[in-house]
Amino acid sequence: MNLTTFYLAVAGLILAPLLGGLVAGVDRVVTARLQSRMGPPLMQPFYDVGKLWSKVIPPASNWQGLFVRWALVASLASDVLLAAGADVLMCFFVQAASASFVALGAFCGSSPYSKLGAQRELFQLLAYEPVFLVAILCMAKVSGAFDAYSFMNASAQPLLFKMPLIVPGLLFVVLVKLRKSPFDISASHHMHQEVVRGVYTDYAGRDFALLEIAHWADVVVVLWICSFLWATSVVSMVATAAVFLFAALVIDNVSARLTWRHMLKVVAPISLVLATANLLWLYME
Amino acid sequence: MLDAYIGVLVLWPLVAGIACLVLRSPGLRSALVLATGAALAVGALGVATQAPFIANPGFLSSETALHIAEGASIVLPAYFLVRGLMAKHALVSVLAIAQLALAAYGIMGMPAPAATQNAVSCDGLSLALVLVVSFAGSLICIFALPYMKHHEEHLHLKVSKQPGFFLILLAFLGFMNGLAMSNDLRVFAAFFEATTLCSFLLIGHDKTEEANKSAFRALWMNILGGIFLHGGILLIQKQSGMVDLQQVVNPAMWAGASMLPVALLALAGCVKAAQMPFQTWLLGAMVAPTPVSALLHSSTMVKVGVFVCLRLAPVMQGTTTGRVLTLVGAFTFFATSALALGQSNAKKVLAYSTMANLGLIIACAGIGTPVAVAAGIVLLVIHAATKGLLFLCVGDMEQTVGSRDLEDLRGIVAISPVTALAAAAGAMAMILPPLGMLVGKWAALEAAAASPVSMVLMALGSALGVVCWVRFAGTIMSGKSIESRNAHSSALTSTPILALLAGAVGLGMAAPWLNALLIPGAGFATALAGGWGLLPSLFVLAMLAWIIGMKSLSRQSSVQLSSPYIGGLPSAEKGTYIGPLGRNWALSEGNEYAIEIFGESKLSKFAGVLAGALLLALVGGAII
Repeated sequence: MNLTTFYLAVAGLILAPLLGGLVAGVDRVVTARLQSRMGPPLMQPFYDVGKLWSKVIPPASNWQGLFVRWALVASLASDVLLAAGADVLMCFFVQAASASFVALGAFCGSSPYSKLGAQRELFQLLAYEPVFLVAILCMAKVSGAFDAYSFMNASAQPLLFKMPLIVPGLLFVVLVKLRKSPFDISASHHMHQEVVRGVYTDYAGRDFALLEIAHWADVVVVLWICSFLWATSVVSMVATAAVFLFAALVIDNVSARLTWRHMLKVVAPISLVLATANLLWLYME
Repeated sequence: MLDAYIGVLVLWPLVAGIACLVLRSPGLRSALVLATGAALAVGALGVATQAPFIANPGFLSSETALHIAEGASIVLPAYFLVRGLMAKHALVSVLAIAQLALAAYGIMGMPAPAATQNAVSCDGLSLALVLVVSFAGSLICIFALPYMKHHEEHLHLKVSKQPGFFLILLAFLGFMNGLAMSNDLRVFAAFFEATTLCSFLLIGHDKTEEANKSAFRALWMNILGGIFLHGGILLIQKQSGMVDLQQVVNPAMWAGASMLPVALLALAGCVKAAQMPFQTWLLGAMVAPTPVSALLHSSTMVKVGVFVCLRLAPVMQGTTTGRVLTLVGAFTFFATSALALGQSNAKKVLAYSTMANLGLIIACAGIGTPVAVAAGIVLLVIHAATKGLLFLCVGDMEQTVGSRDLEDLRGIVAISPVTALAAAAGAMAMILPPLGMLVGKWAALEAAAASPVSMVLMALGSALGVVCWVRFAGTIMSGKSIESRNAHSSALTSTPILALLAGAVGLGMAAPWLNALLIPGAGFATALAGGWGLLPSLFVLAMLAWIIGMKSLSRQSSVQLSSPYIGGLPSAEKGTYIGPLGRNWALSEGNEYAIEIFGESKLSKFAGVLAGALLLALVGGAII
């Protein structure tokens, strides 16, 4: 590992959660505008986390603090891996480990809502993981390697032109990772959710603040991987991520009653079939 | 010295087993089993220091040994035939006759093959299997001591059947070691059949109707596997006139030759490794006492199947047979992972997950590149430790709560914390980076780059596995307060569990170095190259996470917990709350198994037909 890689890794460690917090702020502002509300200020997510940090609330389980911290480390690690140009597939697995820890912590809680949320969180994981993996495999096929730098320097032409069919799949992943749809998973800010705050029900206080930061880091990883689709310059990467984010926000606002069964039975298979078709097509070229 | 080590590995368990049978005293039996564990450990380490090597120990290379092997190829099917006729089991009888005919033809109708130069050849792959058998296998045998005592107390037996049970259990280990190291295909086949015999006797041990049925199902499937194996060996003999395994797996020998024998051997491996559609024999094996299923699943029997396939990997690399085998393995990985998700029976979850991981190893064998084979061997070793651990934990929890259903194991962490936490850790070791199972999966995915369909199947299987194991660990650790009962515990129960836990996690961490150790020479360069170089930094990270997490755990372990949020008012009646309509609602919890998607009845038929078609393609592709 040379010094530049090290600096990049540190930058990833610090910038990723900050960017993620900003994304959360943008999300809330834009969603409010779409619903003809004023909405909170852009920096509201940071204020929220600050407030959570100041609260000391008895935990719902002895184990939650442990799992929250493991989830945070895994989420931040996945950002660092990307920043340091490591293997994207491994980055994906590390990120999935973070999601597993969040679910495990929820299982350990005492509220039935928390456990129900954990169950559904897992089925959500089942719905988006394969298509996300196949999307990464498509990118790896074109760039000929699995490391992040190869993905970014794959060709003069944006990867998007070779893999248009993975776009619905990636959009689906962004949608899930923003924790907005479907409503009956919803650790979201929606009203009228079915399971209170789903997988987050039993987390509170400082643990929850750390979990929120982990979530920001997750969102950045996902958007980052999406941005590989048009990685001709930094600007184009940011623009691609922004396009994915806004598309996800719009879709979320028009499909407020999507359920997890629908997601698992309809959305996931369709996006997976499309992505697989794209992968096979890359092999036929 | 080397010959002595090999002798200890193969013969000692057999001798100790016979001593168990003759002496019958429980105290002596415990001593003998413990001594066997120690002897096997010494033998395995002794062999490990010398590997890779070739040797000619007298008891495996002499004429007598070959005669015994030939005799076994007649006697064992004959025994199966007798059992089949006694039980009026048509399928077993017919298949046993077929196998007898094949064996007789091999002895009488074929010219004797060229003499094999070395009776024993031990490379990284053999060593991996020997280490797995000698360590994980011995630990399971030790665990069996207190387990079988409880088991028989539970059954109220007048005469203990343990002496015979331990004879088979220990002999099994010896046969496995012999199989791992023998270089003469005829001796190899004899050991292969001997493992079929052992599994048949062990599965049927309890003599209940269900046990009998499962034992005979395992028997007919494995005789079929034996027929494929013998057929393959006879064809090799016919094509090349030799039975030297090291020569046979040399790709040069197969240039322009028909791949049919290789496909048949791989098919035999698939049956032994319970790949779909042959998964039912391993599922049925659950009726046996827990140590038996632990042994069958982790360190013996099924490992024979993947061993055969990995052995053939160099020959299959880049061939149609290899490509189809990759698909076969990847498909079983996917289908059985899905089936595991629909199960609430904890042992069935383990069984399906075993098949899934074996499928992944077989896919690695089909790919056949050095990196893929390395990934396969790493998976083989770490899977043995992890699955052995999980079976022992589930067996122990089952004896504690009297049920093996995941719903009944909910929150068992409050009753027997050591076993439950070990089980949760084992479950997480199946899926978490940077531990070995995940590393193996990752390496397999990247090695499968030539086969997009296999990659997609692996991606699906991987996600299914993650969901299954997190739910497993989460259910065990679930925060429900159950009335505590005193859990029995014995040092002989917890020691193997903790040792296997250390093995599962330790080996998991050591995967890249294990890789380098097992594949010396030319393969060494590939071991830590490329992506594997990333792992050491991930270990540092995992350590860091461990420290941070443990600090938080020690802080939180003494605090007052908040009362559960139930979306209603607490009620005076236990287990209820006052909810909507002002009514008293009973509180109940359960996992979502999504049976309508992952249920066994429909899915296993559908997947079985597809997998059967793939196996036909494996053989058919080799004929054409």
